[in-house]
Amino acid sequence: MIGCARVTPLPLSPFSRLEGGRGGNRDRLRASMSRREGSLEDPQADSSTSLLPHLEAKIRQTHNLARLLTKYAEQLFQEYVQHQGDPFGLPGFSPPRLPVAGLSAPAPSHAGLPAAERLRLDAAALEALPPLLDIVRRHQAELNPRAPRLLRRLEDAARQARALGSAVEAVLAAFGVPASGPRPEPSPAAAAAASTGVFPAKVLGFRVCGLYREWVSRTEGDLGQLVPGGPA
Amino acid sequence: MDIYFCLRQPLEMVDSKRMKTSSNFQWLLSSFILLCLMNQVNSQKKGAPHDLKCITNNLKVWDCSWKAPSGRDTLYEVCIENRFNSCYRSEKTNTKIPALLPGDHEISINPIHNHSSISKFILNEENISLIPDTPEILNLTADFSTSALHIKWNDKGSAFPHHSNVTWQIEILRKKKMEIVTLMTHNTTLNGKDTLHHWSWTSDMPLECVTHYVRMRCYIDDLHFSGHKEWSDWSPVKNISWSPDYQPKVFPEDKVVLVGSDVTVCCVIQEKVILAQFGKEKCSLIHLDGENVAIKIYNISVSPTSGTNVVFTTDTNLVGTVIFAGYPPDIPQKLNCETRDLKEIICTWNPGRPTGLLGPHNTSYTLFESFSGKNVTFKRAEDPADISYQLFFQMIPNWEIYNFTLNARNPLGQSESTILVNITKRAVYPHTPTSFKVKDTNSTAVSLSWYLQGNFAKMHLLCQVEITKSNSVQELRNVTVKGVEDSSYFVVVGKLSPYTNYTFRIRCSTETFWKWSSWTIEKQHLTTEAIPSKGPDTWREWSSDGKNLIIYWKPLPINEANGRILSYNVSCSSDEETQSLSEIPDRQHKAEIQLDKNDYIISVVAKNSVGSSPPSKIASMEIPNEDDLKIEQAVGMGNGIFLSWNYDPNMTCDYVIKWCNSSRPGPCLMDWKKVPSNSTEAVIESDQFRPGVRYNFFLYGCRNQGYQLLRSIMGYIEELAPIVAPNFTVEDTSADSILVKWEDIPVEELRGFLRGYLFYFGKGERGTSKMRGLGPETGHSDIKVKNITDISQKTLKIADLQGKTSYRLVLRAYTDGGIGPEKSMYVVTKENSVGLIIAILIPVAVAVIVGVVTSILCYRKREWIKETFYPDIPNPENCKALQFQKSVCEGNSALTLEMNPCTPNNVEVLETRTVVPKIEDTEIVSPVAEHPEDSSEAEPENHVVVSYCPPIIEEEIPNPVADEAGGTSQVIYIDVQSMYQPQAKPEEQENDPVGGSGYKPQMHLPVSSPVEDGTAEDDLDDTAGYRPQANVSTWHLVSPDSPRSTDSNSEVVSFGSPCSINSRQFLLPPKDEDSPKSTGGGWSFTNFFQNKPND
Repeated sequence: MIGCARVTPLPLSPFSRLEGGRGGNRDRLRASMSRREGSLEDPQADSSTSLLPHLEAKIRQTHNLARLLTKYAEQLFQEYVQHQGDPFGLPGFSPPRLPVAGLSAPAPSHAGLPAAERLRLDAAALEALPPLLDIVRRHQAELNPRAPRLLRRLEDAARQARALGSAVEAVLAAFGVPASGPRPEPSPAAAAAASTGVFPAKVLGFRVCGLYREWVSRTEGDLGQLVPGGPA
Repeated sequence: MDIYFCLRQPLEMVDSKRMKTSSNFQWLLSSFILLCLMNQVNSQKKGAPHDLKCITNNLKVWDCSWKAPSGRDTLYEVCIENRFNSCYRSEKTNTKIPALLPGDHEISINPIHNHSSISKFILNEENISLIPDTPEILNLTADFSTSALHIKWNDKGSAFPHHSNVTWQIEILRKKKMEIVTLMTHNTTLNGKDTLHHWSWTSDMPLECVTHYVRMRCYIDDLHFSGHKEWSDWSPVKNISWSPDYQPKVFPEDKVVLVGSDVTVCCVIQEKVILAQFGKEKCSLIHLDGENVAIKIYNISVSPTSGTNVVFTTDTNLVGTVIFAGYPPDIPQKLNCETRDLKEIICTWNPGRPTGLLGPHNTSYTLFESFSGKNVTFKRAEDPADISYQLFFQMIPNWEIYNFTLNARNPLGQSESTILVNITKRAVYPHTPTSFKVKDTNSTAVSLSWYLQGNFAKMHLLCQVEITKSNSVQELRNVTVKGVEDSSYFVVVGKLSPYTNYTFRIRCSTETFWKWSSWTIEKQHLTTEAIPSKGPDTWREWSSDGKNLIIYWKPLPINEANGRILSYNVSCSSDEETQSLSEIPDRQHKAEIQLDKNDYIISVVAKNSVGSSPPSKIASMEIPNEDDLKIEQAVGMGNGIFLSWNYDPNMTCDYVIKWCNSSRPGPCLMDWKKVPSNSTEAVIESDQFRPGVRYNFFLYGCRNQGYQLLRSIMGYIEELAPIVAPNFTVEDTSADSILVKWEDIPVEELRGFLRGYLFYFGKGERGTSKMRGLGPETGHSDIKVKNITDISQKTLKIADLQGKTSYRLVLRAYTDGGIGPEKSMYVVTKENSVGLIIAILIPVAVAVIVGVVTSILCYRKREWIKETFYPDIPNPENCKALQFQKSVCEGNSALTLEMNPCTPNNVEVLETRTVVPKIEDTEIVSPVAEHPEDSSEAEPENHVVVSYCPPIIEEEIPNPVADEAGGTSQVIYIDVQSMYQPQAKPEEQENDPVGGSGYKPQMHLPVSSPVEDGTAEDDLDDTAGYRPQANVSTWHLVSPDSPRSTDSNSEVVSFGSPCSINSRQFLLPPKDEDSPKSTGGGWSFTNFFQNKPND
């Protein structure tokens, strides 16, 4: 709490954004953070002040990464639908948002959650995405062996999702927000089993690429609210 | 009932006898009528069996049944009368009897308890119906993956006594409404045993989509049975259905179909399908049971790589499948099998037409070798971009002939291609040799070594060595080496040149040639040195003082030096002594030795690192010429010069031609060339030859004692035009001649043999353009040219010139190569004084004499002149001149006045005014004598007709209107100055209405303008003087296009006599100094006499 009190005069500090701007969540986040930093005294508060530029840089860096990956995710999605044939590539094609085993879709209520919770969900999704992207890549390697760019993008996307997830978790850790509890292991095997047949595999890839795009974009937005100078 | 039987029997008989002849038919008809009557008689008996009917289903037993009164339990005895009286008892109204032989058989059916009701029937096989037993489908299975139904049944053939053909009808039905899909026919044969039959049918619609039903019946066509044959009843229906999951499904799943085929895709679902799409196309739905739907796709086209999507959309869901439409594999083309190392056979092929199927449906290839029974399978390349179709087959030891079959297979079919190869003879394509090295053997041979992978132990290798000499000459040599396995090979390549750069590379094949391997990388190699093959080409010259002998030699060419020449040894030996110069370094190619006049033999040896060349010898003595040599001239061919000489048997050694640049100072030796003694000609070529440079050539003949100069030739490789003009000077000039002298042109600037000079001369002064271009090409006709072909001439005298005239002299030299530049000079001839004096004196003397004579004549005839030309009273009638003229004017056009008393004339009277006068733009023209257009020209002697009216003086001022209407003449006063100032403004004319006080004609002619009329009146009042004595009323006014009027501004200002009213001669001379001079001399002359009385 002392640390929070110290940074209060900085209206755009990461802490102020992490706590504030969400109304009633502020106290809850403070409580959560106080539990994490309950033993912190003034000397540590001083050190937290000195860490602020480092945190800001980390957030900004992660945000930049998310912004870059948002662009890549869009490119991946467009590349993917191009190689699946019609009607995947037709404008307006929107299959039902069937659930993907091991990966939840961003809920509409996501925006109402506290920032830390949102980042935790982002990190969890980004952690679940790489194995699914690997499954999609394997499918596509069979189906479209002469689409090296698509395969490379899928491979890159898995790696990039993993990197972004780690970066978000690092931001959370830097804030002292506890990592999410034991998450259920993503079950790509289940997803793969559900996608027996070429068409279900195409739909699964469509969903996974779409979810990757949504989660990266969502992460960018969530981090953008923490970036000094970003939207409050 | 009996009637029915009776009627029925004939009908059935008729049916069965259709194929019989008409005679039989009649006979049968009568028989049956009889039988019918008998039956009817029997049926008269109340309660008797009737309506006997027999069928059979196995041709062994007839199953006969009849009808009997009901309600009573009766035991029947059926007896066959004419067959050993066999009787069968039956408690029912039917019984089975063994099949009877063809023919009529009497059957009696006797109810045991009612003997009075015995019925008798005539039974024939033809009356029997063969109705097979109802078949039974033993097993109906479905292969959902292929949408195939498999049916199994037993034909029960053991029941039939003999072989029969059986036709099976299998009916496929679909949906709950049992809609018939197809009715298929299947033929088999009964062979006396029970046989299981299988039949399959492939549905166009996936079996999962809807329940399929199957039933069957049969028809036995026994050739031995003459009765009626009928289809069996349909078998019980069996069906195939798919148990749907909870999840909706689309069938077929990921099916591979041939391009152009029709495909039915169905969706098994519990929701209502609202949209079905095939790719981007919407499809119409075929409703099946429940909510299941199907779509039919016709003539499907080739799919994209990832297949063509078929999508069914409901309100809440989207399901689909992927169809892969492609082609079966094409026959592998250009199948070729060869080996590179005799260990492994590489078979390559071209897949041909693309199948359009990739990924799991890609074509798989299997290479099968039939003799060994081995095969290898093609695996897809990991890198899709690297699509090379090849398979590797391990060779079998000691096996030469292989029969390969390449099988291509994909879900749509397969194809194959075969090749039979003798691998050791026609299929060895060796690897590229590696580790290629070149080593020296000696100066003319090297050894080549290389490594070749492969088992060539039982054959010979044919290798080709490419030898490139100094990057220019290429040579291919074939070498054969015995093959070994995975080893290095060595060959020696000879016949090389020492100390020469070679480039080697090699490629190999087997002796039974099939293909060359690729070339190895190139290796450059310099062969080792050898002793020089020849001595250097040597020449000698005595020094200018004759004490030293200078020995020259040329560097050995590389093919003779055989290495790098390190030094030369020179020795001079005579009978008495020997002098030597050793180790003369290579860069020095001459040596000087002091010798006496004895005969010496000079020997020159070149040395390299290996050894010394054979000595090159030359005698020192020079044999003098007996005759003086004449210097000849020769011109070359552009790149060399051709020399020839007569054969001289005395010349035992060789000929030597040496040459030098004649303009260079010092001893003449630039180069030399030796020619064999039997030659009589030589072409001397050298890179140092330049066109336009004079060279001296000396031909020496060699005898044993020494060399003798035979010819001396001066020549050019190519002649050019001189580059300078000869310097010339003028030695002497006179009034009519010039002596010119010039100098020789230096040889260097002459650039050819001088053939002459061209000397041009003509009038011209410095700076005038006329003379700037001289020469034959300028084409000036007044320019004279002298071609001086005598080149020894150095002076030229030009005569017949004009005195005191500037002449331009040009001198050019020329050779056979062209004409050189020019050099010019201006010279002025001297003045001729005597002629000048004569030219002055003679005209002066003539002028004086003429003047004196004229003065004398004028003085003596002065009275006559006065009388003639200037009488005292200007009375025209007394004017002798006029009279004289009147008499002579007809033949003399030079006279200027003519009197015409009756013809009105137009007269323009000029009036002199002090101020700028107004030009009266009117004129009076005689209608009779019109003036020619050019009458105003300044040629007074041509103005011959000037009308003049008699002196009827009637001064009046006519009415201008009447004048105009009556066409009277007008006299226009034109101011003299107005002749020179015609542009004067009218205002200025009005300001000065009164003219000057000079002469005016004595007549006033009013003009049309009222204003001017006033002016005219004023003029009349103000002027007083001579007026022409003409009756103006008789004059005729003509149109203003008179030449007189139009030429009023002309310089022709006077003509005719001053006494004529028609004269346009100014009566007063203009005062203006700048005014044009009168071209007619008459004015001044007349004025001279006119003024005389006043004086």
